[in-house]
Amino acid sequence: MPAGFWEGVWYLLEHYWPLFLRGLSTTLLLAALGTLLGFVLGMGLATLQLIPKSSHETWLQKASRPLAKGFSRLYIQIFRGTPMMVQAIIIYYGAMRLWGSWPALLAGIVVVSLNTAAYIAEIIRAGINAIDKGQHEAARSLGLTYGQTMRRIILPQAIKNVIPSIGNEFIVNVKDTSVLNVIAVTELFYNSTSISMTFYRQFEVFFITSVLYFIITLLATAFLNWVDRRLGVRSAVTLPTSATLPFPTRTEDQG
Amino acid sequence: MNQPLLSLQNIHKSFQGIPVLQDINFDIYPGEVVCLIGPSGSGKSTLLRTMNRLEEPDKGEIFFQGVPQLHSRVDVNAMRTHIGMVFQSFNLFPHLDVLANCTIAQQLVRKRSLLEAELIARQYLTKVGLENFLHASPSSLSGGQKQRVAIARALAMNPTLMLFDEPTSALDPEMVGEVLSVMQDLAKEGMTMVVVTHEMGFARQVGSRICLMDEGKIVETNVPQVFFLSPQHPRSQAFLAKILR
Repeated sequence: MPAGFWEGVWYLLEHYWPLFLRGLSTTLLLAALGTLLGFVLGMGLATLQLIPKSSHETWLQKASRPLAKGFSRLYIQIFRGTPMMVQAIIIYYGAMRLWGSWPALLAGIVVVSLNTAAYIAEIIRAGINAIDKGQHEAARSLGLTYGQTMRRIILPQAIKNVIPSIGNEFIVNVKDTSVLNVIAVTELFYNSTSISMTFYRQFEVFFITSVLYFIITLLATAFLNWVDRRLGVRSAVTLPTSATLPFPTRTEDQG
Repeated sequence: MNQPLLSLQNIHKSFQGIPVLQDINFDIYPGEVVCLIGPSGSGKSTLLRTMNRLEEPDKGEIFFQGVPQLHSRVDVNAMRTHIGMVFQSFNLFPHLDVLANCTIAQQLVRKRSLLEAELIARQYLTKVGLENFLHASPSSLSGGQKQRVAIARALAMNPTLMLFDEPTSALDPEMVGEVLSVMQDLAKEGMTMVVVTHEMGFARQVGSRICLMDEGKIVETNVPQVFFLSPQHPRSQAFLAKILR
């Protein structure tokens, strides 16, 4: 391998592009699938907190409402209050201990989905709270049930408003899936580490790695801003900071 | 005028310990246009919102067409499908166009087909003069147009009672007229209406009964001729002296 920096970069690209590319596609798969499944689970978690009081309910319904809400709050607190890297180890090796060996990639998808669900649940909850309560009243005054009001009036507006934030979660996931190297998921960071171990030329290898990450997040940001303009949502997307902060920032809660 | 359409009996309501409605007894008979007037904070809007149970009273009973409503086995939505409501801030659904605003409840609640619902919606949108705005987005309409869509949306459910919560208070002065004239037409057709309003001209001309509220109580109820010319209660006299200069 040549000694110069640019020559080194060129050499690595020439000989190791398939490995970089495979890592990149695994990263994208993890981020996309994790955000998608996280959205589905996050909707569920948000719903658990929104079960309404009904005028005639059995004692079982009465007891299950605070339980459902408590579970959802606890889940969100735990997954936002611990690093995803630690979650990955606990889930991967924990499940292995209980049920035996399982593929690291599958574990990676599970970890990212469970983690993202906690953040997206909060985004959706904030999005619902941001809808004017007159919308709810107008729908109920027309005779719509609580469920119909949610599905047909509130959620369509709330989801549209939170699409930029969901997009941010995807970008965050592109970057933060790098922590899955601890359970040997062969994403971009893991593959980069493998290549650098061959030559001990970390600088050149990770220069390429960072450029790849940056291109992806840049493209995703441009795409999201385009979607926002199409939807007529005001806020523009900028490269977000890591979402694996232990506790939410204030702006996040306001959605 | 035999049985009241809606009857409120001994209604009490307070927010965080502050009484807003105190022992309200109130009957609305078919064909009446009742105008609720009074100073801000007197409980007019709360009383109106109690009529379709957007606010639940702490005490008392509500009868709709003779049927008591405040029991756990009574479906609140059943009463609401017969009561239309128009809000001060319009509350149109911004993600639906004008026509869909007027069809969604018909489909979901009345279980009408889309075709039938659109036919009925068009009919009422024509009535309020908005037949050329069927596919407009609510955000592109003026305040007066929005409020007329809101009225058409409520009418499309074929209600037997219409509640208006300060329907012209959020409008530019030049748009108040178009909304009031729609309401006046509605009253002429015999629709039973309860209107919270500050438009004394409308109350005087269209109202069949004026109720003045103050501090959570109905202070005086009278026909407009008597109420505006020789109010009986000192509170009414003071209120009118202030606004009819």
